Amino acid sequence: MMFLRQLRGELRKLFARKRTYIGYVVFLVFEALLLSLWVYVGREQFEDLAKRNFIPVELLSSSLTATYWIMGFSMFLLGSIYFALVAGDIVAKETEDGNLRMVLSRPVSRLRILVLKYCAVIIYTVTFVIFVGVTGYGMALFAMGSEGGLFVWNPEMYILAVYPDRDEAFQRLFIGACFMGLSMCVVTSLGFFFSCLKIKPAAASVMALSVFFIDFVLQNIPFLSNHKDVFITFRMANWIYVLQENIPWERIVESYSILMGLCVSLFILGWMVFQSRDFKT
Amino acid sequence: MLKVQSLTKKFAGKDALKGISFEVGRGEIYGLLGHNGAGKSTTLGIILSMVAAGSGEVFIDGISVRGNPQKALRKVGSIFEAPAFYDYMSGWDNLKVLVGLSGRFDKTAAMEVVERVDLKDRIHSKVGAYSHGMRQRLALAQALLPEPEILLLDEPTDGLDPEGIKWFRDFILGLREDRGMTVLFNSHLLSEVEQMCDRVAIISAGELVYEGAVLELRDDRPGVKLQAEPHEILERVVANFGGEKMPGDRLVFPEGTGIPGVVRSLVEAGADVSEVTPVRRSLEDVYLEHSSLSKP
Repeated sequence: MMFLRQLRGELRKLFARKRTYIGYVVFLVFEALLLSLWVYVGREQFEDLAKRNFIPVELLSSSLTATYWIMGFSMFLLGSIYFALVAGDIVAKETEDGNLRMVLSRPVSRLRILVLKYCAVIIYTVTFVIFVGVTGYGMALFAMGSEGGLFVWNPEMYILAVYPDRDEAFQRLFIGACFMGLSMCVVTSLGFFFSCLKIKPAAASVMALSVFFIDFVLQNIPFLSNHKDVFITFRMANWIYVLQENIPWERIVESYSILMGLCVSLFILGWMVFQSRDFKT
Repeated sequence: MLKVQSLTKKFAGKDALKGISFEVGRGEIYGLLGHNGAGKSTTLGIILSMVAAGSGEVFIDGISVRGNPQKALRKVGSIFEAPAFYDYMSGWDNLKVLVGLSGRFDKTAAMEVVERVDLKDRIHSKVGAYSHGMRQRLALAQALLPEPEILLLDEPTDGLDPEGIKWFRDFILGLREDRGMTVLFNSHLLSEVEQMCDRVAIISAGELVYEGAVLELRDDRPGVKLQAEPHEILERVVANFGGEKMPGDRLVFPEGTGIPGVVRSLVEAGADVSEVTPVRRSLEDVYLEHSSLSKP
């Protein structure tokens, strides 16, 4: 009970800050923009593409497919910025502002303080991804109606799947969003780790994004294509396998075990650094 | 109530504390005095387990801070110089968050403390809009929740106006009177320490150079500020009377020495006396005397 009360306090702090909402606002604007472009500019092209590939138009140009595009193609590049920003702030900003001294003077262990902060940013991450999914779907429903299934196409991950049944499509997409949320926890963990170091909050966010994007760039270099498995961003992209007709659970479990192991390792490393630090004026 | 034993600490290879020891009894108000960088805040940081001591130990009510920091700190409330709250939240929400880390947030008890520190009207305003005085009162409120037995105050009156300083001083003295609160008061405002503390420790360059009762520091020997020319005659006459030159151009003479007699001797020796000002030894003089001994 005490932990939950303290976690509520941590979430209250996190969600009382205006900058926490930057990501939400940007994604809402982005979703509106993308859907507008989809409806007013891209619809004809989609219809043409559907006809040429013998795909029913209502599959390609549907609210669920639009949601998949919004989430799948924006979260890694755009979402990661906000996760790194919020997680990079969570410890370093309080250290910089001096709030942490008020916290540390309380009878609570440093480990517990970090666990609270880590849980808060993980909750932020997962709920943010779900928020993007829900609002994206809501807007798509408004713009395109509820008809149609889901068309999934990702040549880099060798996935092509069609779900004409709306209920099944919705379920698949929802599970996919949950796994994507878990994937994005890696960026959050990177930000959190750097936030525990004796550096400025902005530096923590930049470091986390640097690691993330370097990994992403390396993963996409052609001569490393046979070694994709060693890159974090490749493992993170494995959420999309949930949308494959026959879900390769073994591969998913392997990837997420690695990602969760990485998150735990980053937390432990961050804690070790934080535990050894002196906090003085 | 608080026992500090042989604390040492190095920062970047440089000694910040060199074996500081002192004890604060229950219900006592104890002052820590020193230059900026003398080691006062480091001492406080170690007591609060924010800074790891090189060696030494701190006990709060017999509980080792190193061995069981959570249990030891349960009895402690603390205030820092320029307390940093979450400016984007209300004073009340700040209390909820901070006090919630110590256990259950009791709304009734919190409101009582808020009323006591005179913040009731503004407690639901954002802290970003608070004046320095209001922040300090909020800091006091959070330090008093939930029911500490010892208060650690790090330069608490810094930046307050005279009215605010008086309010703060009266409040702390009231806490001791009403609740027998033990207070460790870290300040360079010497008049504050003199007016509030029972005992004082002077730290200079990481060393404890004096520890004792504030009253014991007072020197009842007659002190005077004398200006006379030529200077040689002044020095000779002062020496004849057994006078001693102290920091701040203060001269002290053995008990029973009459200052009029000293002045008469100066005049008879042919000196032109331009100033005779009786001076009582202040805590500031004591502070300067002791700290200058170990200042590099």
